[in-house]
Amino acid sequence: MRLFKTLRLASRDYGHEWRMSSCFILALAAVLGPMLVLFGLKFGIVGGMVEQLVENPENREIRPMSSGRFDAAWFDRMQQRRDVAFLVPRTRSIAATIELDSDKSTRIIRAELIPSGPGDPLLPAEAKLPIGMDQVVLSQAAAEKLAVMPGDTAMGSATRRYAGKKEREAIRLQVADIAPVAAFSREGVFADLRLVEAVEDFRDGRAVPALGWQGAPAPQDRSYPGFRLYAASIDQVATLKYDLTAQGIEVRTRAADIELVMSMDRNLTAIYWAIAIIGLIGFSLSLGASLWANVDRKRKELSVLRLVGFRTGDIVWFPVTQAFYTGLLGWALAAGIYYGAAYAINHMLAAQMPSGQLVCVLLPQHYGFALGLTVGAAMLAAALAGWRSARIEPSEGLREI
Amino acid sequence: MENVFQARNKAKPLVYHLRDVVRDRASEGVTFRLRVPSLQISQGEKIALIGESGCGKSTLLDMLAFIAPPTNIGAFMFRPEIDNDSTDVARLWKKRHMNRLGDLRKRHMGYVMQTGGLLPYLTVRDNMSLSRSVMGLDASDTVETLARELGIARHLDKLPETLSVGERQRVAIGRALAHEPSIVIADEPTASVDPFAAEKIMSLFIGLAEERSITVVVASHAWRHIKRLGLRRLAHHTHRSQDGRTTETVVNG
Repeated sequence: MRLFKTLRLASRDYGHEWRMSSCFILALAAVLGPMLVLFGLKFGIVGGMVEQLVENPENREIRPMSSGRFDAAWFDRMQQRRDVAFLVPRTRSIAATIELDSDKSTRIIRAELIPSGPGDPLLPAEAKLPIGMDQVVLSQAAAEKLAVMPGDTAMGSATRRYAGKKEREAIRLQVADIAPVAAFSREGVFADLRLVEAVEDFRDGRAVPALGWQGAPAPQDRSYPGFRLYAASIDQVATLKYDLTAQGIEVRTRAADIELVMSMDRNLTAIYWAIAIIGLIGFSLSLGASLWANVDRKRKELSVLRLVGFRTGDIVWFPVTQAFYTGLLGWALAAGIYYGAAYAINHMLAAQMPSGQLVCVLLPQHYGFALGLTVGAAMLAAALAGWRSARIEPSEGLREI
Repeated sequence: MENVFQARNKAKPLVYHLRDVVRDRASEGVTFRLRVPSLQISQGEKIALIGESGCGKSTLLDMLAFIAPPTNIGAFMFRPEIDNDSTDVARLWKKRHMNRLGDLRKRHMGYVMQTGGLLPYLTVRDNMSLSRSVMGLDASDTVETLARELGIARHLDKLPETLSVGERQRVAIGRALAHEPSIVIADEPTASVDPFAAEKIMSLFIGLAEERSITVVVASHAWRHIKRLGLRRLAHHTHRSQDGRTTETVVNG
């Protein structure tokens, strides 16, 4: 009840002194607003770059530089590793092509066969996967040339020269899905490894019993000249590269690109923190000083309250309540300033940015953090000042002025 | 001095009983000391403390209102009403029970400051009701009756800033009386108004206190105004040490 009374009195005082209150709110927003913009820029620019880096699977890819001999045991072993997100064997690239045609198009295209499977980073998470020998995912370029849609069928075929004569075998393929341009820009076919192996076997003059293709019997132990390998995250690319090199496998990664962005992130973050810490110190000092000064200014009125019977504990709530208002309204104004500035910046630089990427971004939790920090710091400063002023003899406060 | 002793009604119990109470205050290298070898104020008494400013009147009032701690206490007993037990104020100060002292003040005392002391953000009515509402009393008619008696009824819903200084002092007196205290302490309540208005306000104040048989302790620098209102004047004298470093005021009564 007494607390409620204190809150009510504090609110009335705050409203009565609206000019003074507005000054406090403005002073707070003038420091907090630019800080939010600064953080929005840092988060937007660097965050966007890092996100791109992380999201673009090419940055996690590790390619062998020359062909080797990798057996099933090696693949098993590598797949166990936590830092390996996706690993699938590659057949000889010369044999990993297929000719495609469809009913809807007169064109016959030659497409690269890309061994794929569950978790293929090049395919969107929601895309249907090519499972089994009769399903494929076409690259955008391939699908356009064949004029097919997901669910349509296409005919795949391969030729070989076997026992002195030219042979051609064909297989009916269902288009499970179409991969986005970013996944593969040329004509390509994401296929189950078994289909890729079958095409290679056929080319090499071996039989593919599953498809009824004739030829020499397949060898028992298959080995692959290459692989498609993706690290679980960009941070793990370097370790994987190191381990593979140690095994005598020369690989190529985009480590240099990654390192560039990472060092840029580090540098920008360092610069940001330098500015932010200076700003934060200035912000805390200005907020603390203005609240402290405000409590000093109100010392006489607070003493009057004590004189009529408010207790020490009640008195502290008076400046704390007002600090809460200042913090809340100052934050709201700062958020408004930020919103305007971010809108202008994003609008201005939209043309220079990849589509959908914003220069200045804050997440809801950033707003929440700023609110909590501001209101918390304001109330703490006011509580300290209020406690100090509640501790002094009421007579001292009364006799001032 | 004769009339002083006649004015004291021996049958009435003592509100204040002070013995050897001292408060030191240092300012710019000079120590101001107020010494009260003995002071007894009975219930319903009207006490006047007359003297130039700086002689320690306010200091005594602040000690009587429990808003300034004495430096040294022989004895300090407080018994606001006949049905109350005596409170050992010395003990409460020693243990720094500020809130207990505050509660005593809230319940039994009204305090009129020299100037202002009104909260600028509250209307006259709310300012006057403040002392009541803190005690959980409703504003009732008491405030309106008081306002009528003080001649400020038409200002009840205005903010203090729209009032003249004299009117504000009337509001301050109203606030000090609104919660029906048994003691009212007033520190030069009319110092900032013209002498004519001062006399009027002072007699109004003493009259209202008289009607309600409230014990009054009032400080003033003009005895002329209050002489005829029948107050007991407290004897005090001030002297400065030879090196000029200490100023001591002794109050007895």
